[in-house]
Amino acid sequence: MRLTLAWRWAELRMLLPLAILVPLGFFVTHVAREGVLEAGSLTLAMGYLALMLAAHAILVLSGQRGDQLLLPLVATIGGVGLVMLNRLAPEVETTQAFGLQLDVAQTQLLWFSVGTVAMLVVAAGLRDDGPLRHYKYTWAALGIGMLVFTALFGFEVNGARLWVALGPIAVQPGEFVKIVLVIFIAGYLADNRALLTEASLRIGPIRVPPLPYLLPMLALFGVVMLVVVRQNDLGQALLLFGIFLTMLFVATGRRSYVLIGLLLFVAGVFVAYRLFPHVAVRVDIWIDPFADPTDRGFQPIRGLFAFARGGLFGEGLGQGLPSSIPLVHTDFIFAAIAEELGLIGAFAVLALFLTFVFRGLRIAMLARDEFSALLAVGITASLGLQTLIIVAGNLKLIPLTGITLPFVSYGGSSILASFLMIGLLLSVSHRTARAIDREQGLPDR
Amino acid sequence: MIATNVRRLALYLLLAFAVVSGGLGWWQVVDAASLNARAENPQVIAARRGALRGTIFDANGQALATSQVIEGISRRTYADAAFSHLLGYASLRFGTTGLERAYDDILTGRADPNPLRDLVNDILDRQPEPKDLTLTVDRRLQDFAAAQLGDTAGAVVAIDPRTGAILAMTSTPTFDATPISGVPDAAGPAMEAITARDGDPLVDRSRQGRYVPGSVMKVFTGAAALDAGIITPQTTYPDQPRQETEGFPVSGFTIREHDLGGIQPDLWPFSPALQVSSNIFFAHVGLELGGEAFLDYARRFGFCEGQQIGSGARGLPVSASYVTAPIDGDCGPFVDDVELASAAFGQAQVNVTPVQMALLAATIANDGVVPELHAVRDVRAHAADPATGPADQILERSSTGGGSRAISVDTARQVRVAMVDAVEAELGQLFAGAGAVRLYGIGGAQTAGKTGTAQRSEGQAPHSWFIGFAPAQDGAEPAIAVAVLVEGGGSGSGRAAPIAGRVMAEWLRLNGGG
Repeated sequence: MRLTLAWRWAELRMLLPLAILVPLGFFVTHVAREGVLEAGSLTLAMGYLALMLAAHAILVLSGQRGDQLLLPLVATIGGVGLVMLNRLAPEVETTQAFGLQLDVAQTQLLWFSVGTVAMLVVAAGLRDDGPLRHYKYTWAALGIGMLVFTALFGFEVNGARLWVALGPIAVQPGEFVKIVLVIFIAGYLADNRALLTEASLRIGPIRVPPLPYLLPMLALFGVVMLVVVRQNDLGQALLLFGIFLTMLFVATGRRSYVLIGLLLFVAGVFVAYRLFPHVAVRVDIWIDPFADPTDRGFQPIRGLFAFARGGLFGEGLGQGLPSSIPLVHTDFIFAAIAEELGLIGAFAVLALFLTFVFRGLRIAMLARDEFSALLAVGITASLGLQTLIIVAGNLKLIPLTGITLPFVSYGGSSILASFLMIGLLLSVSHRTARAIDREQGLPDR
Repeated sequence: MIATNVRRLALYLLLAFAVVSGGLGWWQVVDAASLNARAENPQVIAARRGALRGTIFDANGQALATSQVIEGISRRTYADAAFSHLLGYASLRFGTTGLERAYDDILTGRADPNPLRDLVNDILDRQPEPKDLTLTVDRRLQDFAAAQLGDTAGAVVAIDPRTGAILAMTSTPTFDATPISGVPDAAGPAMEAITARDGDPLVDRSRQGRYVPGSVMKVFTGAAALDAGIITPQTTYPDQPRQETEGFPVSGFTIREHDLGGIQPDLWPFSPALQVSSNIFFAHVGLELGGEAFLDYARRFGFCEGQQIGSGARGLPVSASYVTAPIDGDCGPFVDDVELASAAFGQAQVNVTPVQMALLAATIANDGVVPELHAVRDVRAHAADPATGPADQILERSSTGGGSRAISVDTARQVRVAMVDAVEAELGQLFAGAGAVRLYGIGGAQTAGKTGTAQRSEGQAPHSWFIGFAPAQDGAEPAIAVAVLVEGGGSGSGRAAPIAGRVMAEWLRLNGGG
């Protein structure tokens, strides 16, 4: 590989505000906690800055020409998350990782590093999408394999069997299944798009999808959903279903597919409500958490209280009571942000996610081939819908599920998977830039 | 093509983010004030950590619950475990229950009973001043009632029928609320120790426990039928004497009499039927009254919906009592005549609280008017030294003497006469004589009452019930109405009736009778 530089000045410019934002966040929370005006330890903040600048440098050195807004957006969202986790660290349990006793912020930074490396490997290394699109069934098999392995040999945390022990580290394979499923669906839809769009059956006024062409994908998707639902991972099931429908919609332009899909999902939830007590419990708490305020409604109610305490301008960083919510650092970190930074701060975080979503969709629109476009759509939908599902769950707009807020919630597998997806987006974007060059007759850079 | 779809997708996702932002605005701004005021809110709990709480006094000015702030932590001390359910606890760890919860804003001083002063305090941002409560409950009677129940699970509710004031309200087994209401770290183990004990000591059986009432329900059935004009005190059913032994076939099911203890069946009108507690007689009455009228009268007496002790936002909630299987918190329709006939003598789907049954007795005693229940007599300024009794400055008095009419004065009098017979007359003495206050040294006062032996499923001992009031002779104004429930206590005459008799006698004695 030739060493070709690709300057990324916009990216660097937008990363620089982090040099103030993250240390300031650490400083303010330290003052709020200790009550004395001193800087406290800024090691983690500096480590985070160094990590993001290093990522930028490697993208430059490797000649990566992908979208320059992705890294700053992710770094800012992740920075807010790291500040929050560092602020929560003394109040939530420490974790044992690699034989070291680390608090949640330290562990999270470790995972940020692992994730960043993975992102760079994909972004800089994956110059050709062949390995992704040509082996789509291999990827699908790998995904199912991971799920089945988890179902058989995994262990339970908080009532859901989602974890596999890899040596000293606990991994959630479900987070990675998302990625391979997106790759598979993108490949399948890209290959069969013409058929799916044109052929259709009509029953009265309703256009029915051409089932034979959809069948292989539906079958595989069905297997995945079955395993996920059996694992009691309802948030993941909702997310996968959302990703699937979004990609199907973008590939075919048929709103009817989405409508039928949504109806099926609602029907499925209704059946599950009747059949599975754990689903019924979730839905009942959602409808009226105050009916059982000390037990099952405790966590969502505490979340709502946190939002209410925050008000318009927030209690101030480090001055709220976020640790009054059980599992605040994973399920309810958005409520903690909203409590301490207020409606304004929570809007800002949502705006960052929305900008990211728009940026991801822009990459999809510019993509020069269908597979790349669908891959970018799938990844963007995955991160965007995940954000919407957990935030809406926190806000009691939909039943609460235990999925993470990307780049913010504490959790290694989620961070690693999210960074891998950024790597894929960067590589799609990079290929588009090169293709545009070629179309304009410029030499291959 | 794909680009168009992606553009549309962008719009949908934008809409979804807008909806989520709307939800955020709802909880953080629109609905924030009401959430911030809730007692479970950790911010409210944190604010009360070091805040003094008002004292709660009994009717005679004895301090029942007092607060001290030690090392910045507010600690609550309760003088008497017989009050644990009524008062509840005020825990920094577990929140509040009972009157501590109902009157939380008053006790902490966050609110003033006078809305105008409340507004002024709010505008001037004044520091909250705790306020004290004086109860209508007399500690002497409360302790006496609790001692009567002793180790057995049950409840005693005593009401002044004229005012609706609660005179005693106790539930066993009880618990010590003090350790839960002190230092938060110690509250956890204390609570664990309580919940680990048998018999659900945290449950207030008097207002949260729902039990099959058995024959005490016949007072209701009789009152409803007399008031509706379905029967008179002289009405008899020709088939009844025969059916006492052969059974009463209703829609293919045969209703049977309980063990009459050797009494020869006779053609019994209302009073003797109540004395011997004839299921057959009241099954006829219930069927003749009809399901709709039965439910209508049940609602007039307060059945079929949740109730509260005290009015407005500071009422102490009482679980709803049902006469049929409930549907959406209301009594559903009777399924068939068998259910109606069984409900008429207090079986089938009838499930009631001791408070409701005390209210039934009080309504008969109060000439047919359902009195408004209340347990707090007044709200006062905080007394600096609880040992010297409550302060003189009264901020708010509970209203007394209100209430809604359930049955006519004449009907109430007719039922009262029969209830006196059910305790004092020849037949009645065999079944409920143990409830007569005369037995406990109160001369010149007659007692009205009714026992209940509520059958449960096979192998479970029946619940023992008694409801009644005294003095009940013609011309006297009843001073106390009671309901006594002993869980699995067997016959009503065996356990509940003597407890009720003693409690009523004690009250008359304390007030200069006997």
